[in-house]
Amino acid sequence: MANKYSWPEKPALLGTSVKRLDGPDKVTGRAKYTYDINRPGMLYGKMVRSPLPHARVVSIDLSAAEKAPGVKAVLAHVAVGAQVMYQGDPVAAVAADTEERALDAARMIRVRYEALPHFANVEQAMATDAPAVFPGGNTRQGATEETGDLVAGFAKAAHIVEATYATHVITHVCLETHGCVCEWDGDKLTAWISTQAVIQSAQQFAQALGIPQANVHTIMQYMGGGFGSKFGPDSQGIICAKLAKLAKAPVKLMLDRKEEHLDTGNRPSATAHIRAGITADGMLTAFDGQSWGTGGAGATSGFPLPYIYNFPTRKRTHKDVYINAGQQRAMRAPGHPQGCFLTEILMDELADTIKMDPVAFRVKNLPPAAPNAMWAEYFARGAKAFGWDKRHATGDPTPGPIKTGMGVSAHRWGGAGQGSQAHVDIMSDGGIVVKCGTQDIGTGTRTIVGMVAAETFGLPLSAIKVEIGDSLLPFSGGSGGSTTAASAMPAIRVTSVDALEALFAKVAPALGTAPENLVAEGGRIFIKGTPAKGLSWKDACKLIGTEPISVNGKWAQGLSGSGTSGVQFAEASVDIETGIVRVTRILAIQDCGLIVDKLTAESQAYGGVIAAINFALFEDRILDRVTGQMVNPNMEMYLLAGMSDVPKIDIMLNNMPERGVIGIGEPPTVSTASAIANAVRNATGATIRSLPLHPHKVLAALEQEKAGGTN
Amino acid sequence: MKSAGVTSLATAVTTATVAQAQTGPRLVGPGDVPVTLMVNGKRLELKIEPRVTLLDAIRNRADLTGNKRVCDRGTCGACTMIVDGRTVYSCSTLAIEVQGKQIRTVDGLASANGAMHPVQQAFCDTDGLMCGFCTPGFVVATVAVLEKHPNATRDQISKGLDGNICRCGTFVRIMEAAMKARTVARG
Repeated sequence: MANKYSWPEKPALLGTSVKRLDGPDKVTGRAKYTYDINRPGMLYGKMVRSPLPHARVVSIDLSAAEKAPGVKAVLAHVAVGAQVMYQGDPVAAVAADTEERALDAARMIRVRYEALPHFANVEQAMATDAPAVFPGGNTRQGATEETGDLVAGFAKAAHIVEATYATHVITHVCLETHGCVCEWDGDKLTAWISTQAVIQSAQQFAQALGIPQANVHTIMQYMGGGFGSKFGPDSQGIICAKLAKLAKAPVKLMLDRKEEHLDTGNRPSATAHIRAGITADGMLTAFDGQSWGTGGAGATSGFPLPYIYNFPTRKRTHKDVYINAGQQRAMRAPGHPQGCFLTEILMDELADTIKMDPVAFRVKNLPPAAPNAMWAEYFARGAKAFGWDKRHATGDPTPGPIKTGMGVSAHRWGGAGQGSQAHVDIMSDGGIVVKCGTQDIGTGTRTIVGMVAAETFGLPLSAIKVEIGDSLLPFSGGSGGSTTAASAMPAIRVTSVDALEALFAKVAPALGTAPENLVAEGGRIFIKGTPAKGLSWKDACKLIGTEPISVNGKWAQGLSGSGTSGVQFAEASVDIETGIVRVTRILAIQDCGLIVDKLTAESQAYGGVIAAINFALFEDRILDRVTGQMVNPNMEMYLLAGMSDVPKIDIMLNNMPERGVIGIGEPPTVSTASAIANAVRNATGATIRSLPLHPHKVLAALEQEKAGGTN
Repeated sequence: MKSAGVTSLATAVTTATVAQAQTGPRLVGPGDVPVTLMVNGKRLELKIEPRVTLLDAIRNRADLTGNKRVCDRGTCGACTMIVDGRTVYSCSTLAIEVQGKQIRTVDGLASANGAMHPVQQAFCDTDGLMCGFCTPGFVVATVAVLEKHPNATRDQISKGLDGNICRCGTFVRIMEAAMKARTVARG
């Protein structure tokens, strides 16, 4: 039902490409990230972490560090006798007047450990003779999900595929490492923190430090990437606050690159042994999967399985396996890239049993179409745009070492939001300030907050001053689960509409009309239908008087939606002599309800696709199987794509304004890796059932194919 | 291709060995020593330990925080600066080694009246940034590529920017920005 808050039917700004508000600050280096905050008298904090994957702390000697030059505070984070459960588990910390001296002093902290048995991988943890490393067991068996009569389902199958599929652990690699700057004024704490959740960080500081939340002020104007890993102060934030208190001086504590890999989260691994059945005419009949995965030391590893497609009978069990590595955190569409890969590679194998086209096969087995389930349409549109009809059957018949192929995959995500508040001030000089305690994690939130207000007031974006990223602002949630736009935009819209109504009430008498007859468009307020009878925005605001219009508002139903769907096509070439895979083309079709800023929405889709190319081809957290140490806690051996690795990428956004605002941060990263792996399979005829698609695995799969096939 | 100060360091060591044979070792440090840097046309007089990198010297002692430390190992390019016309990874270059050289950082690219460099403007126009943390390094690297190859091809730009990493995935639009900036950045 349309009401006064409904999104405009003919928007001036919404859905257009608008440059981000903070672009100039970011490209000139003026933008101050947490890492850039330099306070008078500021010290530098450095943490000491366990070098062992599992050990008991026997002693901690801080005395040498306390006497080291420039040192102002030293603390032990754990008690003697405590256990450290992974390499990088925090143990102690120091603050000194320069970064170099803090590093020196940290090295002088003497910690003795008694090494305990550890697991460096799931095989070790799941071995029948594995020692008891985790209290309560090394694994945790989840509930069994079961639908329909599995035996009957398999009885209907003409073909059954049975195989094991797997995805690996990757880390978030936020370019700005986790950390903060903490400064005390008596019992009040100000913290500049690199976070996806500025208000929630204040809550967590208060809880952990045992002080009132009213005494904590957190600030995050700019942050260098989070991807799901930055939702609070974590140990480094609390340690930073404690060091600052001890030293009676501001302390900056930013993690180094190695710490960032070890202790700030990761995407859990996923493995599933799957049996699945298909009829001779291409209908799925049954799915039986036993899955497991590791989210590190004592953390979960869940993911959806099977993904999207309609298996009339299915059974699934899942087991969390604990290993001695840093705990997982949400990472861009948590669970979905894993579930998608495990299902989508199986789908291509099933299609090949009856020599059916993978697109046609998928369309045949989709759930019913709906606004949040548009796959059938996207498969058709994408196939046409991508040139799917030129795809050859599995195995490129072209002679020579370079084989090319195409693959496809589908995905879904939620993206709903709620619970945001906002505040709008309109001043008598025509100035507008929009305040909301949300944050811009690089997605463009600052810009779309301004756009929604500008749209409502009929003004250009430049007329709006946006204030976000501060715990003193009206409540908004953390930026996770693609919820930010769907949470904050309705609040901005409602509050702006209410503020405009208040302005209309002041302006109407001067125009000799009733407030409800007024509209604000093109920088003017005028009587609906007669633009000549009105005032410029500036002149209208002169009627406000000394007390500004000051309005609070909050999220309301009907302006946002939930549920997105997307389909991606990939083309890849494989050098069968070296095993090197190159992605040559990606097409991503994606919806996200009402598109607010087309430019930044597209950027997020590009970003999601490129992140998934990294997941598919490059990144891999490697733990030494004997020592449990991460062997690539850096950026030269932990590989990420560079400019030359990025293929041609086409983004097709489907604007669905009638659905309201829905988030787009996560969905575009879900299905790319599966589409690439299917393209590699189509190119080579060899099935690689686990990520990453590193050259040695491609070569091994090709060898296996030659030796008798992988099917 | 960026240099990481390794060559100059090796040269310095060789020189020191020669000097040592004749007059004994010339030692600087430990502890703070005077270091003079020419950054964005301005003279910076610092007292720092010899082990302080160019990046940390400029960020922590001169509060020029545009360039970022990300990998700290000369891989990701967020710290890219231009020293005597060549891009360097400033996280892996000692401040003391670049005395007497002209150092340009992202903070100094805009003109004195505040107008953005054409490369910076192009990044804004094409949305060649998201979180913005890698952006200063990419901007500096792009400026350097276009100063060297005013009519750079996509391939030359690609090679010139391969020493930089973005985690948000802005590469497509950085390429658009670089291509767009070619014509305006000339001269």
